[in-house]
Amino acid sequence: MSPVMWRSLEDLADDPRLVETVSREFPLYADEMLAPSRRDFLRLMGASVALAGMTACRRWPTEHIVPFAHMPEGYVPGSALQFASSFDVSGAGRGVLVTSFDGRPVKIEGNPLHPASLGATDPTTQAAVLELYDPDRSVGLLERGASAEGASRRWSEFAKAMEPVLAAHRASGGTGLRVLAEPSSSPTQVALRARFAAAFPKASWVEWDPLTRDAEREGLRLAFSRPVRRHLDLGRADVVASFDCDLLFDDPQSIAHARAWAQSRRGAGGTMIRLWSVETTLSLTGGAADHRIAVKSGLVPVALGRLAERLKRAGVPLPSEVDRFGSHAFDDPRLDRMAADLLAARGRAVVAVGPAHPAAAHALAAAINAGLSSGAVRYTDVPDPDRPPHAKAVLTLAHEIEDGAVETLVLLGGNPAYDAPRELDLETKLKRVRRTIRLGLYDDETSLSCTWHLPRAHALEAWGDTRAWDGTVGIAQPLIEPLYDGKSAIELIAFLIEGRFVHGYDLVAATHGESGWRRAVHDGVVEGSGLPGVVPALDPGWPASLGALADLRTDGHELTFIRSASLLDGRFANLGWLVELPDPVTKLTWDNALLVSPEDAKALKIEANGTVVRVVANGKELSIPAYVLPGQAAGAFTASLGWGRTRAGRVGTGVGTDAYALRFAGTPWRVEAKIAITSDHVRLATTQDHQLVDALGKREARIRGEELVRTGTLSTFRHDPAFAKEMVHVPEPAPLWDPPVPYDGHKWGMAIDLTACTGCHVCTIACQAENNIPVVGKDEVLRGREMHWIRVDRYFDGTPEEPSLAFQPMACHHCENAPCEPVCPVAATVHDHEGLNVMVYNRCIGTRYCANNCPYKVRRFNYFNNHKHRTAIEAMVFNPEVTVRARGVMEKCTYCVQRISVAKIAAKNAARAIADGEIVPACAQACPTQAIVFGDLNDSGSRVRALHDDARAYGVLEEINTRPRTRYLARLKNPAGGGSQA
Amino acid sequence: MEALLDNTRDDPEGRAPLVLGDHDDLSITEKVCRIVEAKKPPKAWYVAFAIAVSFTGILGLMIAYLFAIGVGVWGLNRPVSWGFDITNFVFWVGIGHAGTLISAILYLFRQDWRTGINRFAEAMTIFAVICAVMFPSIHVGRAWLLYWAAPIPNQMQMWPNFRSPLLWDFFAVSTYMTVSLVFWYMGLIPDLAAIRDRATSKLRATVYGIFALGWRGSNRHWHRYERAYLILAALATPLVLSVHSVVSFDFATSVLPGWHATIFPPYFVAGAIFGGFAMVLVLAVPCRQWFGMRDLITPRHLDNMCKILLATGMMVGYAYAIEFFISWYSGNPVEGFVFINRAFGPYAWAYWIMVICNVATPQVFWSKRARSNPWIIFGVAFCVNIGMWFERFVIIVTSLHRDFLPSSWGVYTPTWVEVLTLAGSFGLFFTLFLLFLRYLPMIAIAEVKGIMHKQRHGAHR
Repeated sequence: MSPVMWRSLEDLADDPRLVETVSREFPLYADEMLAPSRRDFLRLMGASVALAGMTACRRWPTEHIVPFAHMPEGYVPGSALQFASSFDVSGAGRGVLVTSFDGRPVKIEGNPLHPASLGATDPTTQAAVLELYDPDRSVGLLERGASAEGASRRWSEFAKAMEPVLAAHRASGGTGLRVLAEPSSSPTQVALRARFAAAFPKASWVEWDPLTRDAEREGLRLAFSRPVRRHLDLGRADVVASFDCDLLFDDPQSIAHARAWAQSRRGAGGTMIRLWSVETTLSLTGGAADHRIAVKSGLVPVALGRLAERLKRAGVPLPSEVDRFGSHAFDDPRLDRMAADLLAARGRAVVAVGPAHPAAAHALAAAINAGLSSGAVRYTDVPDPDRPPHAKAVLTLAHEIEDGAVETLVLLGGNPAYDAPRELDLETKLKRVRRTIRLGLYDDETSLSCTWHLPRAHALEAWGDTRAWDGTVGIAQPLIEPLYDGKSAIELIAFLIEGRFVHGYDLVAATHGESGWRRAVHDGVVEGSGLPGVVPALDPGWPASLGALADLRTDGHELTFIRSASLLDGRFANLGWLVELPDPVTKLTWDNALLVSPEDAKALKIEANGTVVRVVANGKELSIPAYVLPGQAAGAFTASLGWGRTRAGRVGTGVGTDAYALRFAGTPWRVEAKIAITSDHVRLATTQDHQLVDALGKREARIRGEELVRTGTLSTFRHDPAFAKEMVHVPEPAPLWDPPVPYDGHKWGMAIDLTACTGCHVCTIACQAENNIPVVGKDEVLRGREMHWIRVDRYFDGTPEEPSLAFQPMACHHCENAPCEPVCPVAATVHDHEGLNVMVYNRCIGTRYCANNCPYKVRRFNYFNNHKHRTAIEAMVFNPEVTVRARGVMEKCTYCVQRISVAKIAAKNAARAIADGEIVPACAQACPTQAIVFGDLNDSGSRVRALHDDARAYGVLEEINTRPRTRYLARLKNPAGGGSQA
Repeated sequence: MEALLDNTRDDPEGRAPLVLGDHDDLSITEKVCRIVEAKKPPKAWYVAFAIAVSFTGILGLMIAYLFAIGVGVWGLNRPVSWGFDITNFVFWVGIGHAGTLISAILYLFRQDWRTGINRFAEAMTIFAVICAVMFPSIHVGRAWLLYWAAPIPNQMQMWPNFRSPLLWDFFAVSTYMTVSLVFWYMGLIPDLAAIRDRATSKLRATVYGIFALGWRGSNRHWHRYERAYLILAALATPLVLSVHSVVSFDFATSVLPGWHATIFPPYFVAGAIFGGFAMVLVLAVPCRQWFGMRDLITPRHLDNMCKILLATGMMVGYAYAIEFFISWYSGNPVEGFVFINRAFGPYAWAYWIMVICNVATPQVFWSKRARSNPWIIFGVAFCVNIGMWFERFVIIVTSLHRDFLPSSWGVYTPTWVEVLTLAGSFGLFFTLFLLFLRYLPMIAIAEVKGIMHKQRHGAHR
């Protein structure tokens, strides 16, 4: 390599000699490598040694010639390091810990110090590493003129091209300059925005979020005449009434909610929180509720009004306008009991309304909470009080484009061409703007319509900062140099202001200052940075808005939109892990569907899931397969957004149906629609009920479900704590060998609390990330060959019209008397002395006999070489501690044996015992409710021992004498009135 | 003609003749050897052979495809990890049962009528076992490592798992194959010598001569031969019972409801004899017709085999019934469901094909007229073969597809690869069988002569 010296990254990338040299030196990654890595690595290393041993390099060890000359202190090659960071999703920060092997981030875990994480994550966060190594990410700058392909450019060329443009805008004060950004909570970005506004006073900055929570914000502004943010502390609640608000899953604070909820549900002390849910589509919150009322989306605010009316009658201070709901045609007698329940828990009762409902409903909820003097609700100021609502902002922008007022449009992230209101037709409008500069991870739908596409640095590649919903500031640090020469949004904004590129580190460090910086980077959070609480007073004028609410009517069919549980707004559409992650409720993979209630299915003659229906709304038409979902409100049809991308990449393009097509600015969540059946049919790939189950099977599944997910009410539990054990007769085994294996060293075991499990499926994907589990594709899922090591079995209980969801995470039980072991002819699956049922991949010849004989059906077979088409860059996501399995080999959950080994080695080196909680399998680590507990059953003080001895504990299929090491804790429900009526 | 040849009537005065027509030693030798010695086989043989070889070629292609891509080219899934592969294995092993039963057990029981059919029944056994062994060998995920299942001393000191029923299969089937082959070959020696002696070309004399092992027909030869034959028969007899018992352990020792049943060993043995005899009939009826062997494979032979078919068919029917009874009587709800699901679930069609073919159709053999009409016999035997294939399919697939956890239930549909592999295995079987018909005496000449003499001289004893 030629001894070229340089001053900055920019210089370096520009030097053609260097680029050429690099391509020669690293032929494997020649295409992806526009900037060399090694020197960058050393450069960054200078900063990172100071930062508690942070390392950042592109990969290790193959092609690097220069030795690891400045090894950070305490660094052991080949052993994992964890770094705190944080991600921003839809304008709310989530703290994470990133596990990195020799400069290669491979696993995301929750940051226990971060209030939105508490050590857990949601499913999408787990897939960040897959996104980082996605080979379909854009690899460089593109300038699109006439041709859609565009010409490859360098950052220096971009800077040169922008020089006159920026100069002109600066001279004109920013006339014709617009920024359309995805929401960001970054304090650095807020600071830069202020500088941007100062530099370009006539420019404007617009935010757009397709899953906006503006209704709540506007509702609270209505109620309190000032913008405030609502925070729920379910730990302070005894009764929660959710009106279409998916508190436990789809919420910026969902993890904190789920944690507090689960803590209270465990029934310790004989009391637990009660959850009421009024909703349209069965959500995880509705599925976990003790009582659920299914109503059409248009009637949810009316149900809230009906409740308010009852509460007012009972003396809760509410304005007289709520009486208007008394004359509404809709009512439900169960609201009586809900009202009584809330009243009985005054002070510890709370009402929450979901983001899909009008502002007035949120205002009403705020008033009810105030009336109930709820201690579980807290308000703070919002960090961005001046921001116009998303829908309004994007409409204004569209009109400005229409009027030709926009000359330069900068798009920071997002994907408005795909997810903005469709009547605006931004895709075409963008082409009318003279200059559109798009910073994005992918060269996607939006980039196609833009004149410039700039590759965005992934959150794991760039410095940044975030603010959680409660305001806590998190620092994001890069774990790796940008793979594709990307830049972060803050770097681009700084460029717009200054006309030159500033490194993200300098920008972020400048925001946070010297003091506490190292600590903040190390911890990932800035201590005490949460937003201060405010106690807003209700504005006397707010009840005026209730009139429109009380007049809500919905007669025909309504179409409602929900986010995709796995793809969010569609941004994760190219991530195989998420596309193949079953929807928690429908178990659908590789597709979305129109959710139809059983009554409507009958009326429309939809006989099978997958029947294509035609939906007409807003004058547009969409063909989408139907899925009959128990618990769906009659008359309501629900489609999840985020699917049907046209330029997502190899995985996501053309997968599912694009429900945005029917979504207009005026009707973002609900629209009257006409539904008609067609003669077409598509096969929907589900991971449960793979094929249509006949009546015989359905009946049996119902009976078995009760024995598998043993459920009792709180009063049953109080009366007989061991009710679950008594549900199935377990005969006394007559062992042939006496005594059984003693297991006098460690004795690993797991306990899963079904009361705490909300069914979010994060365990499935955390396991996939940890254990290098392949994605198999729709055809293979249809065949029933998905590879997930831990699946979440979903059963319905209750009636098809009023169901609740029972979830059961199911992985290898590590049976002491494992049926899989004796049948293997080559002894490829054997027991170790600590009770692990170990799978020896190298020895496996693939008879599949073990899978047949596994009563839990948790073994997964590699029917093909699932890694055949893996590119080198994709291979970087693999956890080096876990074997990548070959074709023809069986695999299954190992209780994360690699983590057990790491802890054992560490303990042995330090000559100490392994502490309880030191070993956390990936599934348990990610679980928001800590439903999964792992540990040593021989350790009398361990949590898992206590849970195995718990009265609620039972083993699934214990009656066939498998002696499972995983035990479940029975699911408890807390219906009002103690369970006489569910 | 047929009426004259009726030897099915039971005459209390003596035993019914087992060789019809005006035969002497020479004419029998002539009759059997003529087929082998003909310059050219009949055109039908060529046609049949061409078809069989084509299917064998398809089998080869299917296996190559399987090895190149992976077991995923079959329709297997979770929960159904075994489908056509093991169904075919058990089916072919079952077919391979009749040969040794006829040669060993019927020999020990002095059932002289066995001589007319034992040769090609034994040949059928060998070929069926070859087809059977193929399936477990190719169905594993990494077929190139199959030898790990054999107890071969190695540097890792890694032995196979002797607790695994699959390993027991390995021993049971390989033992059975070896003994059957030896038994068959031993019986062939005098006849090979006869062909050698009648050879007109040097090549034939040499080749048959090598395999005839210098047989000269001396008294001493015959003496040793008879002794050895008896010993081998005694050795082979327990194998008849053991092979399919062991094969049934694959299922019976598992925890899976529908597999986990103590009735399996006798049930499987009865089923195997049933299926094996059906296959013998399917082969014998056309062969005696086309090769003019009606004198040697007489109506009485067919009649006897029909009776065995009827008896074993009812044993199988009894097993079906008792499985249902026990699943109810045991009070095990999971097992109860498996059987209800078998009869009324998604695979009910397969179950009822099995019941109709295996239990209902053989009942026609209560009628003597049905037992004496070769084409009815052929039809029923053919049905039984279909039924016995479905029996294995039902046992394997219906038990697997809905086991303990409803969340993991699924449905198995075979792919074209599996269907063609099954068809290809028939191709292989018939290729081998047609070669056998062309190059080896299809009837045990020496043994038939023996019973012919016995019948002539001992009739009034």
